Amino acid sequence: MKPWPSSPSWLVELQRRFGEMLRTPLDASGSALRAAPESYDPTLIQATCSPANGAPAARLAVYNRQYWFRLLTVLQRAFPLTARLLGFWHFNQYAAKYLRLNPPHDWDIDTVGAGFAEFLRGTLRAGELELGGTRRVACAALLEAAQIDAAYHAVFRAPAVSAYQPTAADSERLLRGRLRPSPAVALLSEHWPLCEMRPRALASAGETPLSLAARLAEPQCWLLAREQLTLRLWPLAPRQAELLELLRQDSVPNALARIEAQCSPAERGELARHVREWLAQSVQLGVWTGLDD
Amino acid sequence: MQPVLAADALGLGLRSVHYRTGWESSPAVDYVELIAENFLSDAQPPRYHLDQIMERYPIVLHGVGLNLLGPEPPDARYLDRLASLAEYVRAPFVSDHLCWTGAHGHHHHDLLPAPYVPELVELAAERASLVQAHLGRRFALENLSSYVEFTQSSLSEWDFYSGVVRRAGCFFLLDVNNIYVSSQNHGFDPEQYLSAIDFSRVLEVHVAGHSRDPDGSFVDTHDRAVCEAVWQLYERAWQRGGPFPTLLEWDEHIPAFPALLSELSLARKHQL
Repeated sequence: MKPWPSSPSWLVELQRRFGEMLRTPLDASGSALRAAPESYDPTLIQATCSPANGAPAARLAVYNRQYWFRLLTVLQRAFPLTARLLGFWHFNQYAAKYLRLNPPHDWDIDTVGAGFAEFLRGTLRAGELELGGTRRVACAALLEAAQIDAAYHAVFRAPAVSAYQPTAADSERLLRGRLRPSPAVALLSEHWPLCEMRPRALASAGETPLSLAARLAEPQCWLLAREQLTLRLWPLAPRQAELLELLRQDSVPNALARIEAQCSPAERGELARHVREWLAQSVQLGVWTGLDD
Repeated sequence: MQPVLAADALGLGLRSVHYRTGWESSPAVDYVELIAENFLSDAQPPRYHLDQIMERYPIVLHGVGLNLLGPEPPDARYLDRLASLAEYVRAPFVSDHLCWTGAHGHHHHDLLPAPYVPELVELAAERASLVQAHLGRRFALENLSSYVEFTQSSLSEWDFYSGVVRRAGCFFLLDVNNIYVSSQNHGFDPEQYLSAIDFSRVLEVHVAGHSRDPDGSFVDTHDRAVCEAVWQLYERAWQRGGPFPTLLEWDEHIPAFPALLSELSLARKHQL
């Protein structure tokens, strides 16, 4: 393509001012988010007019609101479980803080929430969060929910991949190679029944916080895998989840050595049989896309 | 060979909610319009749906991320993917908006207006011409709905729009709802807008619903049925330049297919 003609400097400057107006945070001091046109750049306001009705600043506020509500909606849809645990009002406060630090830079709006779970990890303190009235939610549950939402988003959006189909010749290579993880699969761990709650959060209308069920007696691990266009969850035994995580990080022999080191003497007796079963199941579920030497 | 739309084809803007429902019944529309950006990533599900849709309908691609009047050149990866996608679906044409969507490294995900001045007619036309050449197929620009004007503007919106299309050698995607919304916000006569349009270069006309903010602003929300005033404007556009393909956009609070098709069919009643 021939060189892209440059914009005049006055337009670049106008767009800089307009962009800053768009990103002006909405006022959350009342019972609803509202634009605050009194804080807009006077130079920008003077550059605009609206002959029919309304002051220019009020018209700019339409864009300001659209910018925020569009992005907040994108995050609410990408993090439905987190949004309903917090309730939309509180969720929007965190989402707005995140967006102020991480405004979108890409044409793909679905990437807007890419760092949101990590942001919450750095923002939420230990303990519980008050949601108004007597409602509270454990911050650790929120962080797990955000991780689960992020995993669902990433697995659903993963590219098409072919699952690894081992051949007889691979048995030797498996003893020294490294399995290549599929982007259409994620390992999840929860201390509350969040994966069970997620479909209810998606299905239920409303913006108020949903109640969180009691903490599980033992943490539950899941494999989240995309089959065609459907996301499915498979329960994993704790050691099985550990093995899969180790295999994602390390070569097969190292992962096996590390899992064996973590087992009690009683577990070691059954470990070889379990590992064979778990590896076979992981291949069947498409956890890997190949084997690297 | 690219499919050719019938001169009076009726189409539907297909949104992701439609992929999960209604495909089995193959709704009776002549073509569908897809938001190009939804199909530019490597994600598998949109690609799967794309193949399903392609089997049933001609597809036109409508972009929202070109940023024609932005200060930075478009992302080469974006343009290359758009061209590949258009080739893949054999799109009769590709469209985007006469606007800017981002600046200084930020992407605002909104369709933003610029002052209507001769200098920007030249700039937008030159850029649109480059895009059309890169895509290797007809490229149409859609008029915006806008909520502010700029004191710096020395041209009417319709003279600006027509000037860009004429100089670029590209085409119009005329959104009559946007004309109506802007006419109410800025106090111009929408008939005058239509009179400036060379209908021989109109590839498609959009209709959609809009809402009104408490402060009186008309906002292009695509969340309801097309209002009677917009249908009247559509009728006058048809009288001036019909036949043309007509597409219904409905992006929020989307009803079931039968209601969408019923709304779309109203276009026929206004093709007088």
